[in-house]
Amino acid sequence: MFFHIVLERNMQLHPRHFGRDLREKLVSKLMKDVEGTCSGRHGFVVAITGIENVGKGLIRDGTGFVTFPVKYQCVVFRPFKGEILEAVVSMVNKMGFFAEAGPVQIFVSNHLIPDDMEFQSGDMPNYTTSDGSVKIQKDSEVRLKIIGTRVDATEIFCIGTIKDDFLGVISDPGTTS
Amino acid sequence: MSRRRDDYDDDIEDEDQDDALEEDDDDDDYGSSRGGGGRSGGKRRRSDFIDDVAEEDEDEEEDYDEDDEDYGGGGGRGASKRRGGKAAKKASGAGFFELEADVDSDAEDEDEEDGEDDFIVNERLDPRDEEDARRMHRRPLIAPEDEQEDVEALERRIQERFSRNRTEYDDDDATEVEQQALLPSVRDPKLWMVKCAIGHEREVAVCLMQKCIDRSSELQIRAAIALDHLKNYIYIEADKEAHVKEACKGMRNIYTGSSILLVPIKEMTDVLSVESKAIDISRDTWVRMKIGTYKGDLAKVINVDNVRQRVTVKLIPRIDLQALANKLEGREVQKKKAFTPPPRLINVEEAREMHIRVERRREQTTGDYYDNINGMMFKGGFLYKSVSMKSISTQNIQPSFDELEKFNHPTENGDGELASTMSTLFANRKKGHFMKGDRVIVIKGDLKNLKGWVEKVEEGTVHIKPKAEGLLTTLAVNEKELCKYFEPGNHVKVVSGAQEGVTGMVVTVKGHLVNIVSDTTKEVLRVFSDNVVESSEVTSGITKIGDFELHDLVQLDNSNFGVIIRVDSEAFQVLKGVADKAEVELVRLRDIKYKIDRKVSAQDRYKNTVSVKDVVKVVEGPCKGRQGPVEHINRGILFVYDRHHLEHAGFICAKAQSCVLVGGSRANGDRNGNPLASRVAQLRPPTRFPNSPGRGGPPLPGGRYRGGRGGKDSLVGTVIKIRMGPFKGYKGRVVDVHGTSVRIELESQMKVVTVDRTHISDSVNVTTPYRDTHRYGSGSETPMHPSRTPLHPYQTPMRDAGATPIHDGMRTPMRDRAWNPYAPMSPPRDSWEDGNPGSWGSSPQYQPGSPRSRAYEAPTPGSGWANTPGGSYSDAGTPRDTTPTYGNAPSPYLPSTPGGPPPMTPSSAYLPGTPGGQPMTPGGGGLDMMSPAVGGDNDGPWFLPDILVNVRRAGEDASLGVIREVLLDGACRIALGASGNGEIITANPNEIEVVVPRKADKIKIMGGEKRGATGKLIGVDGTDGIVKVDESLDVKILDMVILAKLAHLS
Repeated sequence: MFFHIVLERNMQLHPRHFGRDLREKLVSKLMKDVEGTCSGRHGFVVAITGIENVGKGLIRDGTGFVTFPVKYQCVVFRPFKGEILEAVVSMVNKMGFFAEAGPVQIFVSNHLIPDDMEFQSGDMPNYTTSDGSVKIQKDSEVRLKIIGTRVDATEIFCIGTIKDDFLGVISDPGTTS
Repeated sequence: MSRRRDDYDDDIEDEDQDDALEEDDDDDDYGSSRGGGGRSGGKRRRSDFIDDVAEEDEDEEEDYDEDDEDYGGGGGRGASKRRGGKAAKKASGAGFFELEADVDSDAEDEDEEDGEDDFIVNERLDPRDEEDARRMHRRPLIAPEDEQEDVEALERRIQERFSRNRTEYDDDDATEVEQQALLPSVRDPKLWMVKCAIGHEREVAVCLMQKCIDRSSELQIRAAIALDHLKNYIYIEADKEAHVKEACKGMRNIYTGSSILLVPIKEMTDVLSVESKAIDISRDTWVRMKIGTYKGDLAKVINVDNVRQRVTVKLIPRIDLQALANKLEGREVQKKKAFTPPPRLINVEEAREMHIRVERRREQTTGDYYDNINGMMFKGGFLYKSVSMKSISTQNIQPSFDELEKFNHPTENGDGELASTMSTLFANRKKGHFMKGDRVIVIKGDLKNLKGWVEKVEEGTVHIKPKAEGLLTTLAVNEKELCKYFEPGNHVKVVSGAQEGVTGMVVTVKGHLVNIVSDTTKEVLRVFSDNVVESSEVTSGITKIGDFELHDLVQLDNSNFGVIIRVDSEAFQVLKGVADKAEVELVRLRDIKYKIDRKVSAQDRYKNTVSVKDVVKVVEGPCKGRQGPVEHINRGILFVYDRHHLEHAGFICAKAQSCVLVGGSRANGDRNGNPLASRVAQLRPPTRFPNSPGRGGPPLPGGRYRGGRGGKDSLVGTVIKIRMGPFKGYKGRVVDVHGTSVRIELESQMKVVTVDRTHISDSVNVTTPYRDTHRYGSGSETPMHPSRTPLHPYQTPMRDAGATPIHDGMRTPMRDRAWNPYAPMSPPRDSWEDGNPGSWGSSPQYQPGSPRSRAYEAPTPGSGWANTPGGSYSDAGTPRDTTPTYGNAPSPYLPSTPGGPPPMTPSSAYLPGTPGGQPMTPGGGGLDMMSPAVGGDNDGPWFLPDILVNVRRAGEDASLGVIREVLLDGACRIALGASGNGEIITANPNEIEVVVPRKADKIKIMGGEKRGATGKLIGVDGTDGIVKVDESLDVKILDMVILAKLAHLS
């Protein structure tokens, strides 16, 4: 799920950047530091959308670095248990398949793939129904439900299922749930 | 034992028949034999039962008889002759009976002597005997009639009894209560423990028996027991201590001088049930073979013959049919089998095809048909083998899932069978299996499928709080009826079994089986729910055996090496260093010769030098297209780690020749704080190099591809250490190579010396403890920027611009040194800074290009930010032309980029795409230096527990702490306070700084081959510390960077 939230961070800035572009530099550094990171609490920081305010800088003893508390708005993405997501299959193997929804990697075990879908090995490994009408292979788009998440310092890993109503391959990529 | 067996070999009747015959005997005989049996095992209980009746209902004479019988029994075979009247009475009956009776008592006596009560155990287990005993007691006059029956009638009866036994065998619930009634009470004789000479326990017991026989009326003890497993003591059963003393008087090997101990009533049963526990083998239990071809194999007990001490087990045969066929036909029989055939279910048809004679025979005892091949019995592909009880182990058998599955394979009745095997598994549960808060499900009885939480655990009973509505109170449920329960998505840890230690997420739950996806390998594992607990921890199980750790490069034998990709409980899985073919071998610890821990580099397809941590792309072979950082290099073979490669823990083995360097090399030199080396190297005209695929930036004219230099002078520019000659110990940079001599610019003396090429060693790499312990998923992949050159705070505005740009100084001092007031500064560095005053004038802007998108669209390092800060400097009027050394300098922070696969790390953007031709000034590094707090995040892996660190958190002052634990993701658990007794916090590596030790401090070595060792810093020489290693008392010279002050733990 995406959230637009306000976060705060203490930014340290080298004195050389003090000047009229200070704020710009601060922001660009913030973007560089924050975007793409992942925290267990908020999930992935997808993008910074704006700066709420930049607090008073505090010069650090000995270094001359200045610490600015910066409040910024950002879009974060955090998957939840039970959430329905659409994802792109990145790899298929006999244990199941991996799909990616943005930065989140989701594993769908073969136990959580409908029983009528069988694994077909070969050049392009895939899961296919017995009549061949539905096929999950690399780059397919699937709709899945997250049943478990594990949050590390740097990544979020999820386990999903497509063994439920209305889940599975979605033909139209534009569909939203 | 042997004697008993002999007896039994004489007569083929089995125990049941004995019983039956016994019943035919008169009551006296019965009672007395019971009395004799009362000495041991379960019969003890029975005898109590009988005693109750006997003592109360019968007169003294009866007792006397009982004693008498004891003596007779004790005397063994011959003793029966001394039975006097009774024996005579029997003699009047059929001789057959006599023989049987003898054998019977013999057997019991043997049991006593051996201290083994198998026979008794069996009786106790066997409810039918119980009934017999009672019935016989009630019908004292049956014997005379029986004696007149003919043998045929007897046989009939035997048959009848025999078959009944089969049907009633399992009905043991009925006797549970009665068993309780048999337990000794205060009115019963007591057990006394008497000390005797070691090794003479049996002898003493037999002597006592003899004494009883000789002087029966005087002795008032009831029984004497010597247990095999108990040395130095025997047990004597008697009513009073005085009786025991009396009995022991004059016995040589009994020490009555020491106290005679009374065994508490409660423990009396334990005294005699210990041994029976050990051989408590019942059908359908799992055992393991101890010896022979099948050693270690799992087997299922099919039949138990307690009398003969033999067990019929079902095994998966390990039979080499071909060898068997050869043998049967008398062809070249191999003398010595070099290997044991793998376990495989046998196919009778297959055997027939190989002209092996297969007979179909009916087993007399069970009536089942078996295929008999060369004396071995097979059924349904399994081998049925009769083995001695001694050759199987029954304790703590934990069949793995795979093994069970193999066993279940042919029956195909799936769950039913498995469920039954499960129940046997429960017997192996450890104590404290259930814990408060565990989620459980009832699997048996009325409440089946009821879910709940454990509230309280008592012995054998678990109180659960049911989940179901309407059931508010807690329920007490037998432990055996419960099973742990998990839901998909739970994060769990495997606490026992083959996969012990692995953590993962539950995918599905099928009965007692839980499928989990391992956190690290992303493999699906099947484990028993019993072996799993819920946990939030993330581990890959054991990662280390001995000196070898997961992902280490190890030498297997002279020609083979590989990377450890998995650590099992006893062995490693090693991906062998064979290019283009993923060869995985299971090796044991002893098969590994040593760990390969060399810093080597290889050349890629285009002769670029590839070092560890460089990102390469495989362009040839089966792994074509794969890309990732190089983790190990050995003999021209690269081990590449590709996050998207799920097999072999993500490792790919490829020839260096078939790989192409992608992005810049983060070669050792750079990491060593020696950007210069590579810089100098770049001055040479680069050979061709590939445009890294996917890079957004313009083609590069050279620059970062430091591999461009030719092979001949590859030494030039490198920092080496002189290991011999007058300049031994000096470090310096190679400026030129002339044949066998090398001109070296000394680091410390500002002069160039010429030394022999063989006198130098490229050992400075010891200063790069970073990376050595890079682990998957570790925090080192944080997209932060380490500040490689946080030297600025020390820059004085008064720098002397005219100072010679001493090259040595350009070696970027390590961060710690920079921060450490005790560490020597390298002043030349400032002058180098000065060489590029332009950097100060320029404002190193970030590219205004959409930073928002870059984060996700940078699959390859350096793709998004082709025009990184470096670009900004190009316009600066740097005097680089006058100091061409810096001309092609790559970004000094280039090497600092975290090495992990960084699609998510904006830091990847930081790799300057076009440093070529654009001077990177150290000022560029300043961008990074802005935030020392986030700098050095890569240092994480080399933190070690117990070292003193400064924790700098953003917005807080630095505080001293002691690392308690280094977590897998690189973060550390730190106990605040100098002695580590403050509160414990978890800090990211980038917030931690090692406290640099001073002279005479206790230190811990954080890198190099002595990593983890402790020692004392006995001196500081420049950037080197002189360390006395605790373990070996060796004095070593180590770089200060890898030394950390050890905390004085309270």
